[in-house]
Amino acid sequence: MDLDFISRSFVRLMSALPLTLAVWFLSVVLGALIAAGVTWLRVSGVKPFELFARAYVLVFRGTPLLIQLFIVYYGLASLPAVRASFVWPVLRDAFNCAVLSLALCTAAYQAEIFRGALLAVPPGQVEAARACGMSGLLLFRRAIFPIAMRHALPPYSTEMISMVKATALVSLVTLWDVMSVALKIRNDTLVTYLPLILAGAIYFVVNYAIGAGFLALERRLTPHLRSRPA
Amino acid sequence: MPVQTPALTVEKMHKSFGRLEVLRGISLTANDGDVISILGSSGSGKSTFLRCINLLETPDSGVVTVAGETIKMRRRRDGRAEPADRRQVDRIRSELGMVFQSFNLWSHLTVLENLIEAPVHVQKRPRAECVEEAKALLAKVGMSERADYYPSHLSGGQQQRAAIARALAMRPKVMLFDEPTSALDPELVGEVLRVMRALAEEGRTMLVVTHEMAFARDVSTRVMFLHQGLVEAEGPPRELFTGAASERFRQFISKERG
Repeated sequence: MDLDFISRSFVRLMSALPLTLAVWFLSVVLGALIAAGVTWLRVSGVKPFELFARAYVLVFRGTPLLIQLFIVYYGLASLPAVRASFVWPVLRDAFNCAVLSLALCTAAYQAEIFRGALLAVPPGQVEAARACGMSGLLLFRRAIFPIAMRHALPPYSTEMISMVKATALVSLVTLWDVMSVALKIRNDTLVTYLPLILAGAIYFVVNYAIGAGFLALERRLTPHLRSRPA
Repeated sequence: MPVQTPALTVEKMHKSFGRLEVLRGISLTANDGDVISILGSSGSGKSTFLRCINLLETPDSGVVTVAGETIKMRRRRDGRAEPADRRQVDRIRSELGMVFQSFNLWSHLTVLENLIEAPVHVQKRPRAECVEEAKALLAKVGMSERADYYPSHLSGGQQQRAAIARALAMRPKVMLFDEPTSALDPELVGEVLRVMRALAEEGRTMLVVTHEMAFARDVSTRVMFLHQGLVEAEGPPRELFTGAASERFRQFISKERG
């Protein structure tokens, strides 16, 4: 095995990691904001809002992310109306397109996680908060959110990890992420597997860290789910 | 002698769920220090009555007045009632301490955190003062040792005693108990009733929906017996339990005794 080749490839791949992480971080944060809105519509009790939220989840969860990405990157750009509008400076940049389409997609999954977490909040605990004089934002902030958030953590960490892997798709819209660097090394050197294995290892370590982080957070926030102190 | 403002009055309360009329005009006056046991077989409307007082259920009609302040209601366009002033409802709820059948402690908070939650965040009182008071209340219900425990690490009786302390922490004018011992194992009922009896003896105003006949007879100052959404019999327990005030009540207590 050529250690020199490995170390050079590794350095090249690592230099692309900041872009992969940036796409990941921005898209999951933007996705969380969109998901919060979609969830709010979904549980609003207003029929048209509810239907919109359901349709949103259905479409973005039901179609391949790659197709969504291509539609945002190539499709929108081919519409004269888009090119003439104020969004063009944003959408003509591949990085923005990648972040936007990943965000739109993860928002559908995150909205479902949020909805499930809200459903898991025991009604009695919400009622107790109401009986103490809480309502509106205070009720949400002090009673509903802290309980729902704890229910959301395990599926949320899975979604975060899925999204790291999903960023590999942005290599298909000209971005120099870890995946596209791996493909470039293959092309340049005709070494078939090693670049892929190295890239896979980098994704694995990132996901291991994210998983461990969420697990630590979960343990910190849910001492009541463990057995009683001795 | 000046006329005393009652701690709580309810006038002609009505409530239906769909076609089912659960409350058919129930009135009640609780003066300071009154302990009123509300009895009735299941379906008699006693829990609904209690939950309508702090508007966890919205009564269709009726007037609730807490320490002289009447809860303002209005009609929606579809004819249903709703509170006219949400802030007033929140404030009045904080003056009515509610104890639930299933405790409903916040599971992610310790016992002490449960006690200071509403005083700090609803009543905006200084945290240190709330902690001091909470510790005193925990001592009173015999839970000092468990201040840092989470509800899931406590027995049902301990959880209910903590829940009573949580309600007391808001310095309520009236305590509402909704079948506080019905979810407990028989051997845990006594410790909760002892706490409630102590509260009654120190002059707390209490409304207690219960199946505990001994508590109703020995501790309460007044008993209210509901049947099919109406007050079937009412009075001091001595009169109700010994006299022939109501044939239905006699049947009810003989059944409850099994």
